[in-house]
Amino acid sequence: MPTTFPILTLITFLPAVGGLLLLLRRDEGDSETRTLAFLFSGVTFLASLPLFFGFRNDTAALQFVDVRPWIPALNIQYKVGVDGISLLLVLLTTFLMPLAVLCGWKAVERHLKAYYACLLFLETGMIGVFVSMDLILFYVFWEVMLIPMYFLIGVWGGPRRVYAAVKFFIYTMTGSLLMFAAILYLYIYLGTPDRTFDVELLVMRLRGLPFGAQMVLFLAFGLAFAIKVPVFPFHTWLPDAHVEAPTAGSVVLAGVLLKMGTYGFLRFCLPFFPDASHAVMPLVSILAVVGILYGGLMALAQEDIKKLIAYSSVSHLGYVMLGIFALNLRGIEGGLYQMLNHGLSTGALFLLIGMIYERTHTRDVKAYGGLAKAVPLYAVALMIVTLSSIGLPGLNGFVGEFLILLGAFEANWLYATLGALGLVLGAVYMLGLYQRMAFGPQPARAAAEHPLEDLTTRELCILAPILTLLFVLGLCPNVFLRTMDASVNLLLAHLAV
Amino acid sequence: MSPTALALVQDLRLFLPEVILVLTTLLVIVLDVTPVRKSHRALLYLTFCGLLLSGIYLLRHYVDLRESGGRASSSNVLLFGNSIALDPFAVYFKGLFLLVGLLTGVLSIRYKKLNPAGEGEYCVLLLCSTLGLFLMVGSRTLLMAYLGLELVSIPSFVLAGFQRDSRLSNEAALKYTIYGAIASGIMLYGMSLLFGLAGSLDFAAIRHALEGQTELRASPLLLSVSMLMILAGFGYKIACVPFHMWCPDVYEGAPTPITAFLSVGPKAAGFGVILRFFYQSLSTHSGGGDWTPIVDQLQWPIVLSVLSVATMTVGNLAAVAQTSLKRLMAYSSIAHAGYLLMGVVVLSKDGIFAILFYLAVYVFMNFGAFLFVVFLHDLVGSEDIEGCRGLGWRAPFPCIAMAICLFSLTGLPPLGGFIGKFYLFLGVIGRELYWLAILGVLNSVVSLVYYARVVKAMFLENIPRGEAEPLPVPFFYSAAFAVLVAPILLLGVYWAPLVKLARYSSSIFGA
Amino acid sequence: MTTLTSALYHAAFYADMVLTVGSACVVAFSKNIVRSAFSLLLTFVGVAGLYGFLEADFLVATQLLIYVGGILVLLLFAVMLTHRISNIKASNETSFSALAALAATGIFLVLVEVGTKTHWDVKGGPLGESTRPIGLLLMGDYLLPFEVAAMILLAALIGAAYLARNAIRK
Repeated sequence: MPTTFPILTLITFLPAVGGLLLLLRRDEGDSETRTLAFLFSGVTFLASLPLFFGFRNDTAALQFVDVRPWIPALNIQYKVGVDGISLLLVLLTTFLMPLAVLCGWKAVERHLKAYYACLLFLETGMIGVFVSMDLILFYVFWEVMLIPMYFLIGVWGGPRRVYAAVKFFIYTMTGSLLMFAAILYLYIYLGTPDRTFDVELLVMRLRGLPFGAQMVLFLAFGLAFAIKVPVFPFHTWLPDAHVEAPTAGSVVLAGVLLKMGTYGFLRFCLPFFPDASHAVMPLVSILAVVGILYGGLMALAQEDIKKLIAYSSVSHLGYVMLGIFALNLRGIEGGLYQMLNHGLSTGALFLLIGMIYERTHTRDVKAYGGLAKAVPLYAVALMIVTLSSIGLPGLNGFVGEFLILLGAFEANWLYATLGALGLVLGAVYMLGLYQRMAFGPQPARAAAEHPLEDLTTRELCILAPILTLLFVLGLCPNVFLRTMDASVNLLLAHLAV
Repeated sequence: MSPTALALVQDLRLFLPEVILVLTTLLVIVLDVTPVRKSHRALLYLTFCGLLLSGIYLLRHYVDLRESGGRASSSNVLLFGNSIALDPFAVYFKGLFLLVGLLTGVLSIRYKKLNPAGEGEYCVLLLCSTLGLFLMVGSRTLLMAYLGLELVSIPSFVLAGFQRDSRLSNEAALKYTIYGAIASGIMLYGMSLLFGLAGSLDFAAIRHALEGQTELRASPLLLSVSMLMILAGFGYKIACVPFHMWCPDVYEGAPTPITAFLSVGPKAAGFGVILRFFYQSLSTHSGGGDWTPIVDQLQWPIVLSVLSVATMTVGNLAAVAQTSLKRLMAYSSIAHAGYLLMGVVVLSKDGIFAILFYLAVYVFMNFGAFLFVVFLHDLVGSEDIEGCRGLGWRAPFPCIAMAICLFSLTGLPPLGGFIGKFYLFLGVIGRELYWLAILGVLNSVVSLVYYARVVKAMFLENIPRGEAEPLPVPFFYSAAFAVLVAPILLLGVYWAPLVKLARYSSSIFGA
Repeated sequence: MTTLTSALYHAAFYADMVLTVGSACVVAFSKNIVRSAFSLLLTFVGVAGLYGFLEADFLVATQLLIYVGGILVLLLFAVMLTHRISNIKASNETSFSALAALAATGIFLVLVEVGTKTHWDVKGGPLGESTRPIGLLLMGDYLLPFEVAAMILLAALIGAAYLARNAIRK
């Protein structure tokens, strides 16, 4: 559907415009700042809806493309577009952002303008990463994202925020600079007439890249993505960043940022370097399985709720990697689907934890108990999200995990079996968490002094859309899966060559 | 008039930017000693006028060169008995130096430590130094290169020690002088060796002599020794390892505007001379803008690439431990000499182009950072990272500007510094020097550590007790920061015009 | 040239070298700064002699007039008039002497190797009178370097005046 209206450009830069506006505004009215931020992210979400409804499922070609020459001398273009792989991720981003803006309504008090500006700049960066179809443009967005995230963690985070922010920054930067070198190598490799940064063209022109070069480049790209995912053993920045980030930061981090890594594998590593992808498949699968089990075991041992969820993310992203590197239709679609699921359910988990943290100011699981009696609405919401996270049929998590395991069994039964073990672990730690928080005795002192308030209307408004989506994704997966089919099939065709 | 004299007078017309600098210098001296009451900083403003006027004539040269046929040989005019070249390359650098001179002046306007009674001398020395930079990049002979270098150095020695009552400043001047004298001495020795071999001081004649040499006479050892010795002089100017030792102390002790000047001007000029000397004397053009070392045994690119890696590594690692902003910037400038050297060793016009491009961006980034140091000293009274704590929330605009400069120095997109590094690495990878590219990339990560430390202090750390209220930022600083940061942002998004300019300017090294 | 004059010529050359290098060593190694300064006189004279052997008459004259007659005298003034000149021990300290000796020897050996193994671009024949051609060149092809040197001196003068100025005038 070639549209003349550059809708992708609009939704990419709208948040940044909002962010600039916030920074340049003179008056300090807090509620206006919040409203403005919400307005911009909300409008961005509304503007992104036509993407979903106007998307044609029957083609693998890029849609809503907007191409302009940028630096013609080097063949750098401004090129944005979506296909079945990126469509839902863009929507996930635009969907989560207004909620992230809302959830900091009360908790954030310092430097409001800067806070919301950072969130909005971050949104531009994230959408930009998913839609850009030119390597340089992609790299620009990829790095641009780092700066607001660094500030979000470092300024509005918890007690060890500075350490966490710097660690996050340096880890991700290391990977991305190596990727930068690899991008330049690709460009040089093509030779003068063919040189391009256009992703679509690169897929074609990189055919016949020697195996050795493929491996080296795969590793350079892959390292950047693996750090972002994070794949075991590059995950150590994640628990720190998650724990110290403010709620909105954690939601964005878990919901969207972690998907950049897996998206990168799908968009660049697999189609650019098919032979290398096949070659490293066992290695990545093993790392994924190790991540699943290690993340699960670590989560079991955590007392800090946010840390527990952070490790569960390591585990869940392990599934996504396992699915993607099954290198078959079910696996990849399952991986994609699980990316959405994880974004929604972990995002929701962080939102819920943020809400209760605002009331109790502790993340220690031992400080909780009896929430089911004290705050029943909250407990119900937490129940739904917990069940979604462990993959109960009828909820979204089931679909993704099921597809991934199907794909993985097709590829190699051993990894799949080991991965399935992780499901059990997941059930144990998530249900354990729920049981410890919702049931059991309420800590006496806390109950007496501060009776907990149940979910407010604002909080219900934040949670309702997410919870609805959990059901929708679980009950009618085909609506979403069929948008992926064409693009994933094309990807598989590239891989088969 | 004799024909020689006539030619000299004619050359003078093409030498007007330099002549104007000299005349301004003399005017400042005369006005300084006349007992007329002068308003504060009047001589500084006069200096601005001289630099701007010189810029106008430079622009005319540029237009003339373009019109006289792009990259044809007619555009490369040799003046004064072949000792000075007026080509696009030189004009580009001269433009940068005028900018550097102007910005140094701007930084000086509000620099409190600057002794108002010494204003005349300050301007004279600054102008002389700028003239020296002009001569360095225009030089076509070893003699002119040396004289230009001295004309840059000698005023710089005094400028570094301009705060006579400050111990640090005195130490800076002394260190700079001693290191400078030794470096020039070694360089002269090297030049004399080369002269003994080639029988000429002219770059082109040296190449000609070396090309004509049979294996019998061209002693690789002699060439290596003289090259290394000459490199000592130039390396001192660009502050590359192992000639960098003076750098941190001098940068710390010198008045901040002078530090900024030293970190950009002589460094850029040093690269200008290095490019001319190494390409025009020690290499042959093998077509298509690619070059090869003139004598097989003299693999100077290998020497320089090792120096490049050593320079950036030493600079970056040492910078991590610094607490003084000026020392940090000193090591950062050492590291940048290393990055820029990558452009020299690729032996192609692409590398030279990348250097030219990067230097232009570097002017703005570095001056932005040093403007922040001046600002910090002016309003907070500190020049340490400690002094920036929590400043981001008290004076947001200058701190955001500083953060942009630092991120640009790191090479983060979408800022000008990223594009500069992009071209440098593109050149290196294009020459298949992968190890150099990887080490350069890893160095960038290290540099992130210390640049981010400053940002961290500004925004992430808590404001010291009792200093919570916003800091009123004088309009001067807001305007100056805006002027310096705007090009960094702009060049990060749309850099095609500068590419065109830098490509044209590097066209003397092959189309 | 007879063998006798040739022998004398060589003897004079080596005597001059011994004078130059020996006095230079005194300049470098003497712990007494006044002694160093005076030894410099001999070094300069020795260099003038070296120019003489190269038949560069103009350089001999300038070396004697400028370096011996001008610069050295100024230097001696500076040394003698400096405060606390009596505290001689503090001046001219040397450190790392072993390392420096090693480095210097290394460099010396390399230079010897270079100097003896290279086919230098030697201009044969007597030079003749050199003052007039030098003057013409300085006013012709080398006018610009000549003028630039003047600028360097100007800058040095002004800088030195600033640094040495006694009180800051208002």
